[in-house]
Amino acid sequence: MKKCFSKLFFLTIICVFLVACSSTSGEAGKRDELLDKGLDVMGQNVLFDPNKLVNEGEPITIEYWTWNDGDPAIEMAKAYEEIYPNVTIEIVINPWEDFWIKLPLALQGSDGPAIFNVHNSQNEILEPYLAPYDIAIEDLQADFNFVDSHIQEGHVYYMDSLINTGNIYYNKDLWEEAGLTEADIPKTWDQFTEVAKTLTQRDGDRLTQAGFNFNGTYDAIYQGLNYQKGILLFKDEGTVVNFDNETTLENTQFLLDLYEVEGVGDKDFGSDANQSFGNGQSAMVYNWGWYFNELQTNYPDINFGVFPTPTPTEETPLAYDRYNGESTPGINENQSDAQQAIAQDFLRFCLANDEYSRKGALALASFPTKRSLAEDPDILAHPVLAEIAPRVERLIWPGAFPATVETTAIQTFEDILFNGKDISQALIDGQSKMESEMRNTNFRSVESSFQFIDEASH
Amino acid sequence: MQKIFNFKNVIILLLVIHFSIFLIYPIYKAFAGSLHDWNPLIGQYDFVGFENFKHVLTNNLFWSAIRNTFIFVFFSVLFRIGVGLGLAVMLHSKLAKFKGFFRAIFYMPTVTPLVAVSFVWVWLYDPQFGLINKFFGLDINWLRDSSWALPAIIMMTVWKDFGYAMVMFLGGLMALPEDVFEAANIDGANRWQCFWYMTWPLLKPTTLFVVITSLITYLQAYVQILIMTEGGPGTSTYVISYLIFEEAFVRYNFGLASAMAVILFVMIAVLTAALFKISGEGEMPL
Repeated sequence: MKKCFSKLFFLTIICVFLVACSSTSGEAGKRDELLDKGLDVMGQNVLFDPNKLVNEGEPITIEYWTWNDGDPAIEMAKAYEEIYPNVTIEIVINPWEDFWIKLPLALQGSDGPAIFNVHNSQNEILEPYLAPYDIAIEDLQADFNFVDSHIQEGHVYYMDSLINTGNIYYNKDLWEEAGLTEADIPKTWDQFTEVAKTLTQRDGDRLTQAGFNFNGTYDAIYQGLNYQKGILLFKDEGTVVNFDNETTLENTQFLLDLYEVEGVGDKDFGSDANQSFGNGQSAMVYNWGWYFNELQTNYPDINFGVFPTPTPTEETPLAYDRYNGESTPGINENQSDAQQAIAQDFLRFCLANDEYSRKGALALASFPTKRSLAEDPDILAHPVLAEIAPRVERLIWPGAFPATVETTAIQTFEDILFNGKDISQALIDGQSKMESEMRNTNFRSVESSFQFIDEASH
Repeated sequence: MQKIFNFKNVIILLLVIHFSIFLIYPIYKAFAGSLHDWNPLIGQYDFVGFENFKHVLTNNLFWSAIRNTFIFVFFSVLFRIGVGLGLAVMLHSKLAKFKGFFRAIFYMPTVTPLVAVSFVWVWLYDPQFGLINKFFGLDINWLRDSSWALPAIIMMTVWKDFGYAMVMFLGGLMALPEDVFEAANIDGANRWQCFWYMTWPLLKPTTLFVVITSLITYLQAYVQILIMTEGGPGTSTYVISYLIFEEAFVRYNFGLASAMAVILFVMIAVLTAALFKISGEGEMPL
């Protein structure tokens, strides 16, 4: 009896292993025989003709991986499945951290997802597995802004579908309490400093309300400030980071003075400017589009507005700020031809359809790169997008630079602000650390593709 | 043949498979990986000899992380044992009441997830609305002041973990022979003498066990750093395990991270051996 039990146990374990290791994928689904779907061709230049059979009408299942349950591709997948009932697009959602471990490992084999959400910060680990888009570059350029910076040796592997940049968020109630009106919205940093001083409140020596709080957001601000003064983020043909320079020093000193000389905020006034603004303790903060949704979700009682980040003078700067993009999906070149063909067709469906960009733009408070949406009433009615719209042309993207450019900048500023390190020395050390950590990367900035690059200081 | 497939052997085989896959292979891979320029996410694995070790050992941040690690480990272990032993002695006392209740209360932080505890303590330490400053009437930016950030993390860690030491010491105290203490009482020994000359020496195996397990845990600690300070302000709270985490899972330099892990492995082995040597214990007590 005991021996019989042991054998049974052993067999059960083997079965469990075999079941666990077996593939669950199968091609279940309907056949599609309807060639003419009775639908119009979609798009302006990137065209999608739905009146065809895909995969010769045979059932097929592909996977789309994303980290974001608000990804507009999810709704587009449902719409695509309705047109082609033989296609099933399985949506696999993993949290951000897991996503960037699981995806590159899955892409190394032949059964990874056929199509997946891309973030340009992970360019280096995705690059080896991306198949080029099967869409003419001229068509992409005709329909979308900022395509040029994504062309690699005549191919596009992904591009920006939405872009975002920094703005100033202000608390309308505190603004009104201080006797300020819409007419007081500052255009230059000098005007901004005066407004911030008006909004600052103290109880004796104790700060009770910060006029401007940038605790935790320094890394994003300094890049924009440098671009406004015509200084690029990378030098030596875009291969070396340009952190230790007179302009960074000047801008860092300016930010430090806002706290230590003008007294509009304090390094010890909360560790997180965003939280402080959400709690109504800071009157103004600098942040990107995602913060709009954060405020609406987590701080619904805050009555806030948005205005463009000020500039050094009222003259048009080289660039108002850096932008970064939400990317269009990537296609797995290690997948089968049949899977890739469906992925390419689904991608074309997304890019030809304005809804893909519109939904993404409104969900992520980011400006669409699709030219047909530049003056879309829904887009321009959004408070953040309305402020970005007039500045789109003067926003610059340096490329998907290594994380050290931001993480080391944060450490550098913390060393100055909290550890009392001399600014010049901190910048020298920051430059050295960034260079050391970028030593093994093949990053080259795409700032040179910016249309106003000739105005940059060299 | 039939004897091979008995229940005992099957269980042992499964354990061997488990340890081979999840322990021996990863250790081997870390040692081998430390000699390679290794990024598994793009399939890169190029032999570079001892380059990674050279890079690590000439990196200032690595040495400041080592210094922080030793400070963190020393004080965390010291206070974990001090608080744990003190509470265990109090709970073991005949005068103590509601022993079961207090045992459960004191042990509760130990079973609470570290991530959740860390987040709660970030709020407690907040300079604007944190309860610690409010309750004690202080004005300290605990996690952003470089002279307070590491002590603040140590305080949280000790609060989270002292329950484990307390339970271990309580077990040790309960196992002590009562007749020895009765004899000491008859001989006129006071409470302090009883503790210092009898209880404490008799608890040496338990203490050694707690010290070694704490040492191994704290040398590998990084979660509280990641959540509470991200190594800051500047780099003032970087510890070796956080540096390894950052190198591997932020920069994907698994080769460099493996070299650091090998150095950490050697450090733990040397410290453990030294502790056994100093304490004169031959084997780990259980």
